[in-house]
Amino acid sequence: MMSLLAKWTRENNELAFNCKQQNDELNRDHNNLFSHRRCSSDFHKLLRKLQGIPPHSDHAQLELSVVYNACVCLTALSHFEEAELLLTQAAHRVLELAGEDRGTSDPSVLWRAALKSVAGTALHRHVLSLLCLQWGIWLAKSCLNPIKEFQEEMSLLERQGGAVWDDCRTEAKEKIPNIPRLVLDPRRLAELLKICTAIVQGAERLNEGWNTLSALQAAAALPAPRALIAYTHLLSGSCLAHMNRPQMALQCFRRALETDPRCACALYQSTLLYRQLGNVQAEIQALRILHSTLLLPPTTEPAPAAGRLLSPSLFLCSQSLGSLLSVPSALSVLHSLALKCVIHDRVSEGVENYLDLLAALRSEDQHGVTANTLTAHAVVSTLPKLPRLYLEAAAALLMARRPADCMALCDEVIGTILDLLPDKVLLEDPEDGSVAESREEREEAESGLVKLLWAAAAYLLLGHCYAQQEDWKQAVTHYTRCFNLLVKVHCKNNAFSPQVSAPDKESNQGVDLCVLQRLKGISLAGRGISFAQMDRLREALRDLHLGLQALPEGVSAGQWCGEVLWRLDRRREAAACWEKTWSHTCPPLAEALPVYAQELQSGPLLDPTELRSRLKELGPL
Amino acid sequence: MMEGRCAAEPWAELGLSVKPGATLVRRGTGTDVFICTGSEEVYVFSAQEKRVRAVLQLPAPVRDLVFSHDKQLLFVACRSGIYRVNFQLLSHSGSSDAGSGPAELKISSDFLAVAADGVSSLLLVGSVLLTLCQTDRSWLLTLYKTPQQSQANRCDVIGSFSLPVVSPSVQGHTESKCVLLCVCLGEVTQPSSPAAASDAGLSRCHLPLRPALFKLLFGVEAALAKSPVILCGLPDGRLCFLPLRLPGSRLRVLQSLEQPVVFIGASVAMETDAGCAGCLIALGKQGRVMLIKAGRAGSERQRGIADFTEGCVPGPVECACVDKSRLYYSTGSDLLTLGLSEGSTGREGQEWDEEASGSTAASLNRPTSLNVSGVVALDQPTCNDAGEVQLLSLSARGQLQRISLPVRGPEEGSNKLPSSAVGRSVGDLLSAIGDVCERASVLEKVIRWKNQTLKQLNQVLNVSFLLTDGAKTEEKPIRCCASVGWSRLLQKDSLNLACVLQNFSPYILERGWTLSLTVLPLSCSPQATEEARSVNYSFPFCSLCPGESLEVSLPVAAAGDASFPVTVACSLVFSLCSLLGGEEAATPPDLPGDCFSLPLNTLTVDWLHALRLISPTSAQKTLPPQSGSNPAGDLRAFLSSRRAGCRAGDGAPRPEGYSARVRVSSELLGHTLRWQRSDPDPKVSESAPRSFCVSLLEWLLSEECGGVRMGHKGDKTDISSSVICGRAPNDATVKLTAKEVHFEEKSDVKEESLVSLEVQVESSSVAAVCGLHHAVLRRLQTLLLKAPVKAWSSNKVQISGLRQTLQRAEIQQGQISEALSVGMSSGQMQRILLRVYQQLRDGPLLMV
Repeated sequence: MMSLLAKWTRENNELAFNCKQQNDELNRDHNNLFSHRRCSSDFHKLLRKLQGIPPHSDHAQLELSVVYNACVCLTALSHFEEAELLLTQAAHRVLELAGEDRGTSDPSVLWRAALKSVAGTALHRHVLSLLCLQWGIWLAKSCLNPIKEFQEEMSLLERQGGAVWDDCRTEAKEKIPNIPRLVLDPRRLAELLKICTAIVQGAERLNEGWNTLSALQAAAALPAPRALIAYTHLLSGSCLAHMNRPQMALQCFRRALETDPRCACALYQSTLLYRQLGNVQAEIQALRILHSTLLLPPTTEPAPAAGRLLSPSLFLCSQSLGSLLSVPSALSVLHSLALKCVIHDRVSEGVENYLDLLAALRSEDQHGVTANTLTAHAVVSTLPKLPRLYLEAAAALLMARRPADCMALCDEVIGTILDLLPDKVLLEDPEDGSVAESREEREEAESGLVKLLWAAAAYLLLGHCYAQQEDWKQAVTHYTRCFNLLVKVHCKNNAFSPQVSAPDKESNQGVDLCVLQRLKGISLAGRGISFAQMDRLREALRDLHLGLQALPEGVSAGQWCGEVLWRLDRRREAAACWEKTWSHTCPPLAEALPVYAQELQSGPLLDPTELRSRLKELGPL
Repeated sequence: MMEGRCAAEPWAELGLSVKPGATLVRRGTGTDVFICTGSEEVYVFSAQEKRVRAVLQLPAPVRDLVFSHDKQLLFVACRSGIYRVNFQLLSHSGSSDAGSGPAELKISSDFLAVAADGVSSLLLVGSVLLTLCQTDRSWLLTLYKTPQQSQANRCDVIGSFSLPVVSPSVQGHTESKCVLLCVCLGEVTQPSSPAAASDAGLSRCHLPLRPALFKLLFGVEAALAKSPVILCGLPDGRLCFLPLRLPGSRLRVLQSLEQPVVFIGASVAMETDAGCAGCLIALGKQGRVMLIKAGRAGSERQRGIADFTEGCVPGPVECACVDKSRLYYSTGSDLLTLGLSEGSTGREGQEWDEEASGSTAASLNRPTSLNVSGVVALDQPTCNDAGEVQLLSLSARGQLQRISLPVRGPEEGSNKLPSSAVGRSVGDLLSAIGDVCERASVLEKVIRWKNQTLKQLNQVLNVSFLLTDGAKTEEKPIRCCASVGWSRLLQKDSLNLACVLQNFSPYILERGWTLSLTVLPLSCSPQATEEARSVNYSFPFCSLCPGESLEVSLPVAAAGDASFPVTVACSLVFSLCSLLGGEEAATPPDLPGDCFSLPLNTLTVDWLHALRLISPTSAQKTLPPQSGSNPAGDLRAFLSSRRAGCRAGDGAPRPEGYSARVRVSSELLGHTLRWQRSDPDPKVSESAPRSFCVSLLEWLLSEECGGVRMGHKGDKTDISSSVICGRAPNDATVKLTAKEVHFEEKSDVKEESLVSLEVQVESSSVAAVCGLHHAVLRRLQTLLLKAPVKAWSSNKVQISGLRQTLQRAEIQQGQISEALSVGMSSGQMQRILLRVYQQLRDGPLLMV
């Protein structure tokens, strides 16, 4: 019997040794899945041999160690169910050993009974280490209630663990072969689990609206890998942000970054906070850093002790934590950076960013997915549809006075979309009762509308380009094409084509209709201006009037309408027109609407001071 | 169509058993052909030397293999992972061993590129390696980055996409493969644009698709990003796609074939754009073909909608490949080819729409045999200089063949047919004529049957209307009458009812009708439920012409069972099933849904019907009835007599039996039954009073009351006296006495005598007395209903009788209420009630 026990112990020790060694070797590679799988099946085989005989105190230590090893391997493979099954079996066998197995199925009752039955014996620490693994599995499955129940035992495990295992280690040195080896020091595991639990609990409670600041700050002092400490700072920051203390929150985010420079989520949270605070320059700066952080190659820092076998990400899969840790993809960040730059008068920078973005999209390395650095949390993609992105880039190029590049982009969009355009788009009144009946039809109509708007915007931008190059004839052609596309949209209900000035946030269709209306106004105004440049004043006046009708707050249309009237010698009307235009303030570019559906001021401009002087000459009305 | 025979040139006999479903033939570098047969080995066959040059020995059965674009690397998917083999290694080992046997190359885990379980398909797009494998709940498409430098083997995961497994039941084919294909946006507008040039390396391995089709299927974004799109066909029949380079893209389902996808390809059929495929083809295991084309730009409705044409070819499909205009596939027993370019001729016109698509669909059903059997794997077809299409195939016996297909002229086969083809077409025509004949006769039969059914239905409707209308009138034209008779079977007497269904209607009751008789005792023990008491008999019959009748017989009650009277409800049931089905309708209908029931009349069998006559003498001799041939009856009679004796011995003097009387005016009877006037029978006139009594008894016993006659004709002779004895069904002896009573009205001024007849029922059994009394009353009641309404004896109202009766009734009521009052034991109460009952029966009113 003893020889058999020794044999098994040796087998276990060899397996554990191999496992550790392979793990060290393979750590560079990502796919050490294979070796884990082999290890776990080997340990499992050994365990089956051991469990073939009834539980006996002589080999209970060995058996529990093998259970521990097998479960660590299974947990590393995320096979939590199987691991939990093994653990439960082990607990039952411990109870059987003590002769008091009552066949309970409630895990917390079971573990308490198991712990009680071995209290004061050498088996106690083994059972504790198994409970520790069970704790990890609960954490991975986001079952926080049993963890709360066992909080006391956990801390006990940690406190006494140190002493016991040190003892055991010295003991081990004395008679090496008789002590079963473990693949992972339970103390390390307990440490890892403690901070992970703190993080997950913090996130859960934050989600429920609790103040968890003190707990998180206490957790920040725990011995743990940097990334995890950074998470505690991040969570404190989020907590403070919830408590409406943005500056302190920013401090926390900074501390998170200081702890772990790769903590992209801290950067992302700070950009959100800056946006909330309205600090555009800081937001742009943060976005830029975030983007460069996301582009960094994945981490190569040596994994922490416990992380070699069990990565923290195994335990950090709670949903509320996931939403806190999610970071948009690098491309999304780049896009919002570019858009921010363009809108906030940093056009050349914006253009560069847009071009980077387009290049990244076209590169072969881009594969729809981006591998995340530390944890496998979902990467949010907030990129707009590609045609819109192209058109935004084109608008930025136009604003940067690079009409040739802009035209290339627009041509590409038009070439792609043109043969898919519907002949007619019929829009139904969304407030009509018949919403549900033709949902598919409406979806189809909407996608038709979206495509139509893209093509029209591309033509509009082309018109702008030609206007910028002072090729008025071409400009007129393209503005006309734009307008011709726009009139293909019909609203079924006549009352339902109002002067939508502000985008209706409720529905996509509202935004689309607003864009439609604006494109109509801008294209007509553009054509009017082009006609005016060609000295075809009648057509110019007609188009400018129509443009103003479609978009009353159009600044260039108003100014040029006045100018054309002036040239037609209708100076009083011109003056009135100018006055009216100046009464509107020129709106800055907004984020809610696509850039290309706003007035870009790229065409020929009139000097307001000159106009005012003309007005003065005209004298009072 | 393709009368030029194809030539199969065997290249090598590998002498292997080939596992269908996991075999592959792929042309590799130069003239090398890579063959795997589902085992652990990959054979490298040199087409030049016509021999197996090298064998790769892998650690696990090979599932798939794929070459890198520069044909420098080979990726092999096994059960345990994906291995990367450099061709230089191969060529090196191959050349060193030239002349001798094939070089063996053991692929160890050093070559392992990806450790992944259960990879079923591989695809290499640029430097990205895609694997498709099935996990428990989803299909997983994983992207790996292949290392640039040739030293490192390991591939890093870029990302993975999953698609949930729909229903595990559909799969079943765990060993069946998935199909992966990469398509990209074809450049038609600027064939020599710089972008195309830069992508040249890429597009060599992808199928360029017509832009219109590409955009329709995969969206504007994929087109704008010039992203290659991965198409995968799953064993559950789904066709999925994934734009590879689109941010935020996911695996989406394009269409479902509903059978395992065996092949996905693209063909340039119907397209003149050089190099751009205008048609995607998916082929299912059971032979379903799906062609996906862009809608024609000309038609308004078709724009913006991809055109999915489905067809079916004879399966099962083992493997397939496609060239510019034809699909080649093997069913295992034959290699077939399917033309895809039929629609191209009408392309220039706008009238393409329905007609041409119809012809495409039709052409899908006519694959042409190439007469090559046993093909389990095919490589992409190639075209040699002479324009011959060459297929490389692997047969089930492990033979590698090159199949050369003849050059096809443009309009070949349509002008001149060779004699063999003529013979074949004549044969086809003849068989077609035969087919038409057969179909016509089948149709004729069906029509005849329908007509017959309609006729039958008409009859049924007529009958139904007749019967439902007949509810208003008294007599239904279709009705039942019956006669009862005692019979003895297995020493047990039972009362049988012979029920006759008479059809007096002008319609035939045809097949499908069922006579349903429900026998229900009017009174019985209260414990029995309705269902338990009633018994249902169904008699399906074939046809009943007008004037015909159908006699059925059924048991009503056994001797000793005293639950009379019994009603027999007759109804006709028609089952609709019999109209439609043939044989199953013969069984009695039990489903309420498909049959309807028309009630006929209801017959009543009462105590009189069930009365068995015995001679009065024997009845007097032994009061308990005795029939010599019935020992059981004797025993019972004996026992009951003993018991009666015992009871008599108890001392409680009881009346000899119970009796009840019914009086009826003889005048009324005589008038109604026309005994006297219309029937001057000398015998009757001679002794009128006695004959009156006798004929009354005769009438009671023989009258067909409620459609039921008594069957004891033989006993008729016995009725010569005014006393008859009989045996009730509960084996009690009863005595019926008829006598003439002169009833005198005394109080009145004029003395008038009223002659009336009295029927007295006597028996030791209360039940028999009651039952018979009830039966006699019932007869008289029906008689009175029939009686001519005349003021016959209106002046002879028996005032005093009425008065007496009223007094008696008052006394009786008092007795009843006394009996029902509290403090009376149940025995006492019963006695009182019985006495009242008897009094009621004893001094009846005279019926006038």
